[in-house]
Amino acid sequence: MAYEKKHAEHAHAAHAHGEEHFREKHLMLDPLPRGQMNDMVMESMMEKPTWKFWVVIAILSAIVAYGLVYSWAKMIAEGLGIAGVNRPAYWGIFLVNTVFWIGISHAGTFISAILRVFKAEFRRPFTRAAELMTTFGLVQAGFSIFMHMGRVWLSYWLMPYPNQRMLWPNLHSPLTWDLLAITTYLLSSTMYLFLPLIPDLAMARDRSTGWRKNFYKILALGFRGTEGEWTHLRNAMNIFAFAIIPVMFSVHTIVSWDFAAATRPGWSSTIFGPYFVVGALHSGMGAVIVVLAVIRATMKHMKYFIRAEHFDAIGKLMLIISMAWAYFFFNDYMVQWYGGDKWTKQLLHFHEAGPMGWMWFAMLIFNIVIPWAILWNPKWRSTPWLVSIVGILINVGMWFERYIIIPVSLTINRMPFTWRLYKPGVEIPLGLGTLAFFILLYMIASKLIPLIPVWEVQEGQMAHELKKFGRETVVTVSELE
Amino acid sequence: MATLADLKISEVKLSEEQTGKWGMVIDQDICTGCQACVAACAMENNLSFVGEVDSGYGRSMHWIRIERFWEGAYPEVKMTPNQPMMCQQCGSAPCEPVCPAYATMHSQAEQLNLQVYNRCVGTRYCANNCPYQVRSFNWRDYERPEPLSNQLNPDVTVRRRGVMEKCTFCIQRIHKAQDKAKSEGREVVDGEFTTACAQACPANAITFGRVDDPESLVSQLAHRGHGVKHLEELGALPSVTYFKGG
Amino acid sequence: MTESNVVDLLAVFPDLEPAANAIEHLRSIGVHDDCMNVISGIPVTEAMLGRPSQWTNVPRIAMGGAALGFGAGFFLAYITPYLYPYPIQLSTQSFIPGPPTVVVLFELTMLGMLLSTFLGVFLDSFFPNYRPMKYVPEVSDGKIAILVECPHVEEKKVTDALKKMGAESVNPAEAQHL
Repeated sequence: MAYEKKHAEHAHAAHAHGEEHFREKHLMLDPLPRGQMNDMVMESMMEKPTWKFWVVIAILSAIVAYGLVYSWAKMIAEGLGIAGVNRPAYWGIFLVNTVFWIGISHAGTFISAILRVFKAEFRRPFTRAAELMTTFGLVQAGFSIFMHMGRVWLSYWLMPYPNQRMLWPNLHSPLTWDLLAITTYLLSSTMYLFLPLIPDLAMARDRSTGWRKNFYKILALGFRGTEGEWTHLRNAMNIFAFAIIPVMFSVHTIVSWDFAAATRPGWSSTIFGPYFVVGALHSGMGAVIVVLAVIRATMKHMKYFIRAEHFDAIGKLMLIISMAWAYFFFNDYMVQWYGGDKWTKQLLHFHEAGPMGWMWFAMLIFNIVIPWAILWNPKWRSTPWLVSIVGILINVGMWFERYIIIPVSLTINRMPFTWRLYKPGVEIPLGLGTLAFFILLYMIASKLIPLIPVWEVQEGQMAHELKKFGRETVVTVSELE
Repeated sequence: MATLADLKISEVKLSEEQTGKWGMVIDQDICTGCQACVAACAMENNLSFVGEVDSGYGRSMHWIRIERFWEGAYPEVKMTPNQPMMCQQCGSAPCEPVCPAYATMHSQAEQLNLQVYNRCVGTRYCANNCPYQVRSFNWRDYERPEPLSNQLNPDVTVRRRGVMEKCTFCIQRIHKAQDKAKSEGREVVDGEFTTACAQACPANAITFGRVDDPESLVSQLAHRGHGVKHLEELGALPSVTYFKGG
Repeated sequence: MTESNVVDLLAVFPDLEPAANAIEHLRSIGVHDDCMNVISGIPVTEAMLGRPSQWTNVPRIAMGGAALGFGAGFFLAYITPYLYPYPIQLSTQSFIPGPPTVVVLFELTMLGMLLSTFLGVFLDSFFPNYRPMKYVPEVSDGKIAILVECPHVEEKKVTDALKKMGAESVNPAEAQHL
């Protein structure tokens, strides 16, 4: 009898412990009243910035002023000569950065569209943080591609509109497809950022005063949350979630065609499309995890919304994407190697043993070795600082990958007389300028718009509950939509 | 029903139709590598002088260049014949479709590959896609110190920064000769005019003319038998035939 | 019925369940579904509240936009090459290139569809709308508000019914600046 009682007590304790454990672990099982969550998000956003915040803003603004404004103005005035591009590397870091930023932008769409479509519940607290990266990343990609142009002041010539020159853009050119695809993607990802933001802007409008009140009032468009408004919004978000996925794939595929469609050794590869898409997700997920770690560490109340489970989930995705990247890389490499074309052979040799060989090996280490070595372990990949280091290294590795594909591969062509290594010039301040501008935009946005989609979190918390199967307690989700 | 052989024949026909109008034959065996063609081309076509630093960094603006190669390792070094390289005026040019602004296109009248400087916005895709790497980009507005400006050829435009350019087969000379012949009511005679590089070559290594006229010197030279077209395997249908080791 | 004969009541409920019950009860005392509207801080589906499903034009507008986008793509891909003063020959590619037209048609169709989906939300919801509206800020804290339109004479009856069903507060709704 005594034994039974003891056993029962023990079981009860274990059960209670289990529920507590679930609450601690899962945001979705740890609901707070909506009002309290609103307060937390508002507070994190309106918290008076510390001096550190202003120092970072000042440094970033200085980099933007020097790197983006001054250097670009100088380059427009003097010509691309102050950059490092030459013959044969006609394309340099500008396009490396374009591809890199478009890659970063893929993470937002991946998280908020693909994960929404597949109802991956862990996405809920950080869809907006990822979507912001998409929009701001695309802005930097746009800057980078315009920097690259020799006569940027004539870039409007690439727009399709009736003009007295009686010319239309050339639709044979992959660059024109790029323009159409990036425009489509920038517009649609901005709209997709805005639609789920409307209810949160209305929430912010209801609980703010002063200039913020007017700011949110204008942006919230008069949203009240009536049945009709929600229905229209839900329908629209559903359409966006499905339709933006092929747009996202098309953007990076078309970017890859800029290279794959050219008659250059190392570039004409039919696998470049998916290889680039996976590469984009690789760097994008790496960037998302860094952003989440920074938000969690620096903003108030974010430890409630962003938890170890989220790092764990993204870490798993990063591991899978790293494997997929390795698969595509090897697939591309194997076929190029086996083809035996003498120029391609030269190029592959140059990649590995040339002056930029260190970069080629660093790419493999950062993109494959380190992620695989760390992300397999659930404990390690749930540690924010550790995964964000992996995320940063993946981004360095992916930047290297684009650097190897663009200027390093351009060094080797079918006219050995012209072979010459590329040395970056003003590209470096300009590139740092885009990076600083990205961070600056993000920091300003974090003070202006609710970074956590509160209504989506609440919806998720309503849908989740614990259910007992025999002796085991498990998490269940009901489909509310 | 079209058989495989028919398809092959039509393919051959296509590439023969695309042999172009104006062409060039370059005899590498008699080229001395004196660079007279390079200088003459620069004078004729108002090329900029980029200076030592840019030139050393691979930005020299030449529409024609003499490529020199060595074979073997020191001390047994053997020089291979010099190889003048300029725009090959491809019949199926890879540079043309990739320009988003239609700045480079195929001329129906001359069967040449045109570069429209005014239309160029400087994406440099054409130069990347050129298998011969013969396009030059205006990386800066290069200075033309006095009195060099007096030397400018009035028949050729001057290009500004951010614009791609390349060999035109001296299209201004083609037009001049055609205009003159037209005013005299006749056809252009073979050898009546030639490009600046061919004119300047002391060894007569460069011959220019109509490749679609079987009687012209250039056609006869081109059909001697052992001529090669560079990177012919890419199917770009270049218009320049090279002779080496004949 | 003129404006003065009707009164709008705004009842705030703490949760989904009482709100759904209240809607059912209102219907039983003769308030028509068209005279009710629900305001909430999360997307509460019509099924949860037992309300008739809402009509939305967004998917239709999206399809229309997709058609327009396809038309624009068709114009770019198939018409603009003919608008030049002379035909432009590029390499040996055909005058209207085949595969690239697929790219152009796809991108512009998607652009048209997504732009009009966005626009559809604006049109259907009458955004942006900065006029005074009947609203309680509590809904963004998770409360559910029911807006009932009833004749003046029935005001008391409906108010009592709402209170009975667990409304935290029932007030005549006044349009206010949000």
